[in-house]
Amino acid sequence: MLDALRFEWTRLLTLRSTYWLIGTGLLVTTGVAVLLGVAGRNDPISSEVVWIALNGAAGFGLPFLAVFMAIIGIFACGHEYRHGTIQPTLTSLPQRNRLIVAKLAVVLTTTLIVTLVQMGINLGVVYVVWGEAPGLFEDPLGTSMIGYVLYVLLYVLVGFGLGLLFRGVPSALVVIFLMPLIIENMIFGLSTIPALDWLVPVVKFLPFTDGARMMELAAPEFGPESPDFDLFTRWGAGGVFALFAALILTAAWVLFKKRDA
Amino acid sequence: MITAKGLFKRYRKTVAVDHLSFDVRPGVVTGFLGPNGSGKSTTMRLMLGLDHGEGETLFDGQRFGTIRRPMNEVGALLEAKPFHPTRSARNHLRMLAAANRIADKRVDEVMEFVGLGDVKRKKPKGYSLGMAQRLGLAQALLGDPRTLLLDEPTNGLDPHGIHWMRDVLKTLAAEGRTIFVSSHLLSEMQLMADELVVIGRGTMIFNGDVDTFVREFTQSQVVVRGPETAGLAETLKSEGADVVSEGDALVVSGLEIGKVGHLAFAGGVELHELSTRRASLEEAFMSATGASEQFVAKEPVRAAAPAAVEGEAL
Repeated sequence: MLDALRFEWTRLLTLRSTYWLIGTGLLVTTGVAVLLGVAGRNDPISSEVVWIALNGAAGFGLPFLAVFMAIIGIFACGHEYRHGTIQPTLTSLPQRNRLIVAKLAVVLTTTLIVTLVQMGINLGVVYVVWGEAPGLFEDPLGTSMIGYVLYVLLYVLVGFGLGLLFRGVPSALVVIFLMPLIIENMIFGLSTIPALDWLVPVVKFLPFTDGARMMELAAPEFGPESPDFDLFTRWGAGGVFALFAALILTAAWVLFKKRDA
Repeated sequence: MITAKGLFKRYRKTVAVDHLSFDVRPGVVTGFLGPNGSGKSTTMRLMLGLDHGEGETLFDGQRFGTIRRPMNEVGALLEAKPFHPTRSARNHLRMLAAANRIADKRVDEVMEFVGLGDVKRKKPKGYSLGMAQRLGLAQALLGDPRTLLLDEPTNGLDPHGIHWMRDVLKTLAAEGRTIFVSSHLLSEMQLMADELVVIGRGTMIFNGDVDTFVREFTQSQVVVRGPETAGLAETLKSEGADVVSEGDALVVSGLEIGKVGHLAFAGGVELHELSTRRASLEEAFMSATGASEQFVAKEPVRAAAPAAVEGEAL
């Protein structure tokens, strides 16, 4: 297994895209904290500001860092097929399970380290500007930050699985951005139309929407007119997202074992 | 030693490899021949476990997938340019070496050996096909393996490169390694290979040494040259031989050289040349695989002179 890990680390570290994707992810996410600091330095800080600063405004859509790290996840297998390197890879490391485990370990460890570093940098910005980070280790802020880390990891896992499933980069990129940004938002929006109220029970099972609930500071309010979505709790919703990631990964892994390289 | 048993691969309704069994001995270069689409690459991929199918291939008694650090046992070159475009050639090899506990020093050694030492830090996307093939060979040689599987390694190489590749493979074979190499360059294979595995439409046509293959699939011919051979030609025909005139020589098929010489002597015919013409590997290959060619192009037809267009100004 150590050989496989050594292979995968070398593969990741010898790609230029690894550096610019991580660099851009850190830069953009830190930029949000800096922007908040510049704009609100004279206002008293609240736990909501700390929340936005630390996760780079992840609560308003997709976390920037997750997007860039998911591309690294997609590249982990997608690049192998796109550039035909799967052949030399499998002739140097023919045990397919070992290869996938090594790829997962390296991609997820890198994601975890980069996410923690990013939170550390953003926390540094908060301390430099305000000198404090109220509620950081308390519920709900502390819990939502754990949810943020888990969301990034699961999102990268989905990207990894899609890259392996589609055996390429473009299709995986389309699915991982299209589903949360367009398809799930559209289903949610359509479910509020009375004629399409049969979509209401579906909303609680939308995987990316559920995943995003792990990062919430407060439960969402849809107003008195909106249907009762009967949403899961933070961790229940996180479980749906984790199950979705596991299904994608399992399907990709089983097919990887069965398919010709 | 490579032992392939019952290799079989089907793509939906098409059988690509049909129960192939053969041995590849160490110490010689074994050529792998077959027309386009005959299943050579698929066979090699099956042998390495890249494709799933039936049968088993053992490399010195071990299945490829069970070898812990396979590059130290089996080196493979299957595709011309399987490199990430932005990773340097050296880093590409370092990555593969990392999976097999091969030191970076060895990476530099093989890059020098294949003549890419000066460009090892360049990205392979800028490499010519010949350079990419050299990098592929460097990859195959990385672990100093006992066995080499090379699919069309001379593709894209210039004449010097082909000559170099031939010398390398023959030298490696002379060291007792097992070399299994496919190629479309039959003249090159004739110079390089000692033994052959010839397939057509996924089935075995021949497995043995080159001389036997040529003998088995071609008719040997006798060349007769002399000042007056017209009478001898009639005598030879009456003995059942096929006789064709080629300039001032007769080319005789269907009779042994001894019999031709005896008939000339008995008829009192003066001869200036009496020799056997050995068929080439290419002729034997065409004879052996003609019926199993899968993708047959049309014979070129001489274009008719274009008809004058009516009303066209002259």
